[in-house]
Amino acid sequence: MSLRLARLRSVAWFGWMVEGNWADPVLFGIYVVARPLSVALILALMYRAVRGPGAHGVAFAGFYVANAFHSYVDRMIVGMGWAVFEEREEFETLKYVFTSPMGLLTYLAGRSSVKFTLATISVAIMLLTGWFALGVRWDWARVQPLPLALSIVLGLVATLFVGFLLAGWSLVLARSAIVVLDGVALVLFLVCGVIFPTQLLPWPLPYVALALPFTWWYEALRRFLLGAHTNALLAHWSDVAVLGGLAATTLVGSLLSLWGYHALERRARRIGRLDQTTMF
Amino acid sequence: MNGWRDRLALDLRAARARAFVRVVGTLREPQGVLLDAVFPNLGMCAYVLLYRGLGAPRSFETLAVIGGIMTTFWLNVLWGMGAQLFWEKQSGQLQLFFAAPCSRMAILAGMAVGGLVGTTLRSLVGVALGVWVFHVRFASFSPGVLIAVFLATMAALYALGMMLASLFLLYGREAWHTCNALTDPVFMLSGLYFPIRTLGSVGAFAAGLLPLALGVDALRQVLMGPAAHGLFPVRYELAGLCALAVLLLVLARLSLEHLERLSKREGRLTQRWQ
Repeated sequence: MSLRLARLRSVAWFGWMVEGNWADPVLFGIYVVARPLSVALILALMYRAVRGPGAHGVAFAGFYVANAFHSYVDRMIVGMGWAVFEEREEFETLKYVFTSPMGLLTYLAGRSSVKFTLATISVAIMLLTGWFALGVRWDWARVQPLPLALSIVLGLVATLFVGFLLAGWSLVLARSAIVVLDGVALVLFLVCGVIFPTQLLPWPLPYVALALPFTWWYEALRRFLLGAHTNALLAHWSDVAVLGGLAATTLVGSLLSLWGYHALERRARRIGRLDQTTMF
Repeated sequence: MNGWRDRLALDLRAARARAFVRVVGTLREPQGVLLDAVFPNLGMCAYVLLYRGLGAPRSFETLAVIGGIMTTFWLNVLWGMGAQLFWEKQSGQLQLFFAAPCSRMAILAGMAVGGLVGTTLRSLVGVALGVWVFHVRFASFSPGVLIAVFLATMAALYALGMMLASLFLLYGREAWHTCNALTDPVFMLSGLYFPIRTLGSVGAFAAGLLPLALGVDALRQVLMGPAAHGLFPVRYELAGLCALAVLLLVLARLSLEHLERLSKREGRLTQRWQ
C-alpha cells in the first residue's frame, strides 16, 4: 500500500512538472484562471441578455454550480486521455511506462491528481466569481453538508473511472483521439443537463442521461448545496433516492469503465498501438 | 528565377501545394471528419437548449447557432494556423519550410486557404443542425452582402492566424497553454453565444480588436436583421473587417520576419520538446 502511495506521489509530481513547469508561470496562471472565468461569464451574460440585469434565479444558480463542477469532468476525463496520447505520440515514452513496475493504471491515477488540482482551482474560481460578482449565492441554512460531501466524493470517483475508460480508448485511437476526448466531454456536457434541464433533450436522451452518474451528480449538487432541483424526471425522487441513484450509477459505471479500460488495453497491445506514432 | 513574375509563380505554387495538403489531410480520415464536424457543434446545442430553458425569444437561438458555427473557424485559426508551426517543429518539418525557396507567407497563406476550405465544409454540419434540428429562422438577406461579410471576416481571422503562427515560432510547450487560454476568453469577448452589445463598452473594445467579434456581429445582422441587436451598422463593420485584414496581414509579415530572425539566433527553430 505504501509502495503504491509512493508511486502515486511520484507520478503526481512528475505530472505537475509536465503540466506546469515548462510554461511561463504568468501564462500558465492565465490559462488556469481565464478559462473557467470566461465560461462563467458566458453563462451569466446569456442569462443577462434574456432576463436583463438584476438578481439571478435559483435555476440559474443550479446550472452555474453544475457548470462549475463540470470542470472536473472536463479536466480529468480529457486530461487522462491526453496523458496517454502525449506519452505515446509526443514523448514516445508510453511503452516504457507500460513496462515499468507501476503499470499504466497507477500512472494514469497519479497524472489525474494534477488534473484534479487544476480542476479544483477552476471550480473555486467559478464559485467565488459567482458569489461575489454574479450574485450566485446559496442559503447556508439550506445546505446539507454530509450528503453534499458524499455526492462530491461519488462524483469524483465516477469522473476518475470514466477517465480510465477514456484513457483506454485513447490507447487504440490514432490522431482522432484529440477530437474524441473533447467530444466526449461535450457529449456529457450536453446529455447530463449541465446548463439546461434534460427534459429539453429529444427522446430518449433524457432517459439515457439517467444511466450516467454525472446527471445524478449535478442533481445532487443542486439539491444539497442550493436546495433546488432542475431535472423534472427526478423531481419526485427524495434526496436519499437521488443519493442512492448517484451511488448506484457510480458503482456500475466505475466497474464497467474499469472492465472497458482493461479490454481496450488488451486490444491496444494486440494491434500494436502502444508505441505507434501517427505524426504528432 | 529572379524576376517578380517567377517569384510570384513560385509563391502561388507553394500556397496551392500547402492548401492541397491541408484539404487532403482534413478529408483523409472519414471517421475523423465526422467527429470533427459533429463534436464542436455539441457546445452550441447546449447553449441553444439553455436559451430554450430560459424561455428566451427564438432569435436568441439563431444568435447562438451563428456563434456556434463561427467557433469552428476560431478553433481552426487557433489550432490549425496558430499552433501549426509548433506542430511542424515537433514533427521535424519546420526546417524544410525555412529551407524552401518560396516565401513563408505563401506557405502560411496556403495553410489558411486549405484550413478555410476544410473548416467551411465542417461548419455545414452546424448549419444543418441549426436549420433542421433547432429550426432557427433567418430574416431575408442579401447573399452578396453575406458573402462579402463572410469573406472579410475570414480574411481578418486567418490573417490573425498567420500572425499567431509566427509568434508560436518562439514557443515550445507554451503553445498549448496559449491556445487553451485564447479559446474560451475569446468566445466570451466575441459574444459568440449572446449579443455582443450585452458586454457594453467592453464589447465595443473587443470588436475593435478581435475580428471574430466584429465578424460574428456583422453576420448576425445580415442574417437576422434588427433581432441581432447589432453593435454598429453592417457597412461600418465590413469596413472595419477589411481594415483589420490588411493590418493583420502586414503585422503577420513583419512578425514572421522578426521572429524568424530571433528563433534562428536563439536556435529554437529545430528545438523539439522544449
